[in-house]
Amino acid sequence: MPALAAPNRHPPPPQPLPGQAARAAASGRQRLGRRAAAASAAGAPPRQKMFVHLWGFLYSHYFRFWLKWILRLLTRKCELQRILDGSKEGARRTLSIEHSLDSSKSKVLRNAVHVDEAEVEKCVRDVMKEKKIEQKNTGFKINLHICLLQISGYKKLYLNVESLRKVPYDADNEEHEEQLIELWNLLMPHENLKARITKQWCDIGFQGDDPKTDFRGMGMLGLVNLVFFSKHYTSEARQILSRSNHPKLGYSYAIVGINLTEMAYSLLKNGALKSHLYNTVSGLPQMEDFHQFYCYLVYEFDKFWFEEEPESIMHFNQYREKFHEKVKGLLLDYDVILTLKNTKKP
Amino acid sequence: MEMCFRALCCKGPPPPRPEYDLVCIGLTGSGKTSLLSQLCSESAENIVSTTGFSIKAVPFQNAILNVKELGGADNIRKYWSRYYQGSQGVIFVLDSASSEDDLETARNELHSALQHPQLCTLPFLILANHQDKPAARSVQEIKKYFELEPLARGKRWILKPCSLDDMEAVKDSFSLLINLLEERDFEPSRM
Repeated sequence: MPALAAPNRHPPPPQPLPGQAARAAASGRQRLGRRAAAASAAGAPPRQKMFVHLWGFLYSHYFRFWLKWILRLLTRKCELQRILDGSKEGARRTLSIEHSLDSSKSKVLRNAVHVDEAEVEKCVRDVMKEKKIEQKNTGFKINLHICLLQISGYKKLYLNVESLRKVPYDADNEEHEEQLIELWNLLMPHENLKARITKQWCDIGFQGDDPKTDFRGMGMLGLVNLVFFSKHYTSEARQILSRSNHPKLGYSYAIVGINLTEMAYSLLKNGALKSHLYNTVSGLPQMEDFHQFYCYLVYEFDKFWFEEEPESIMHFNQYREKFHEKVKGLLLDYDVILTLKNTKKP
Repeated sequence: MEMCFRALCCKGPPPPRPEYDLVCIGLTGSGKTSLLSQLCSESAENIVSTTGFSIKAVPFQNAILNVKELGGADNIRKYWSRYYQGSQGVIFVLDSASSEDDLETARNELHSALQHPQLCTLPFLILANHQDKPAARSVQEIKKYFELEPLARGKRWILKPCSLDDMEAVKDSFSLLINLLEERDFEPSRM
């Protein structure tokens, strides 16, 4: 039996990926959201979980109010001002603002997290009026404006991603068909499709002779993601495709891609992507930002898969879960940025 | 919360239900993942194609089924037999509305499974899924086409129609399978 060739080298990163700092110890002020989530997620013993919940309840219902009152008295600033003055732009700041707005007793503040793009300016003025902050405080105005765009923009992005996901692939829709053919042409530039229904689709990792049955719950979102990666990172995509055809460590390129779309989608849905998006976009996040995160997942998963050297494709799910846990862990870091920078000239 | 309540009321843990290890096979797109997810009260909205295998503990009132679901794509079916060891029953899902070619492939796979040394003595639950589609063949047609009466004689099998919009019927079909599995428990020396 011929010796198996080592897998092609993983495509070199277009730019060195930023290092991910380990999560620092919790800051003085208890931010229960992440710690509680991490504690219960880590399968902490029931008694510990109970204490966390009890503390959370007491804190949010009693201690927090008195703590804020004292701090306002001492610093003459409301919580929003303290946060915006105390930290620079980034996820830490925006998440604190979001938490503060969500937990506010004021309806004006609570509704600010859902504000429409066109209404943000007015909303900022209303918040300043509500909290008795001077309107000439432009620093506060600008910073809150950015935070609100990020916070409400994240929710809007999820809705847009969800509506694309709900669009099933339709073979009678010319636009859908065009994108599918485009995917083929980007990945297999030297080979023509013999027909629309053909076993050739398996060469790019679809399961059968008609890709439309493979999108399932991810709908057009899956195809759009695949095309985006192939279009904007063409050489990386082709290298990863060629690695995916490895005789022993191979996997189905397109199917795994759709799986990773589901991973990106669920991270967006449950709010885990906030830290990454609040750090990378200081304004309204766009669909392209979601696609870029998807590209990061595909690139990193390919690297991860070959490093792990799984026994066979049959063990895909357990490695997928391991990778998922790794990404979730990275996203807990307030300073996280997970992107694949494109060094190509536009 | 439930554990707190139990601890407070000095109640012991609930009595354990018997567990059975099953394998779930069928062609890609037949509906294995969707059916199992819905049986576990999970949404089947965000389903993606199963690559490799996935294990689900499906709870029923009188038993827990540990189902090893195997992906049905062409390039994965060759690995199916590696995962038959230790199974106590088989669930075979087919798309009643698939093309002639696919139905033939499904028939071949079912026959292989019925005759496989590690599965031939086990109870089979055969689900003719996608009954809600207009092109779906009836149970009678499926039974005839799959030659179940002659081929599966002497084996214990159940053939039931089903679709995702009637999960009660699916649960009933599974209850029948659980009965077969329980019967087996009482006859350990049966060949």
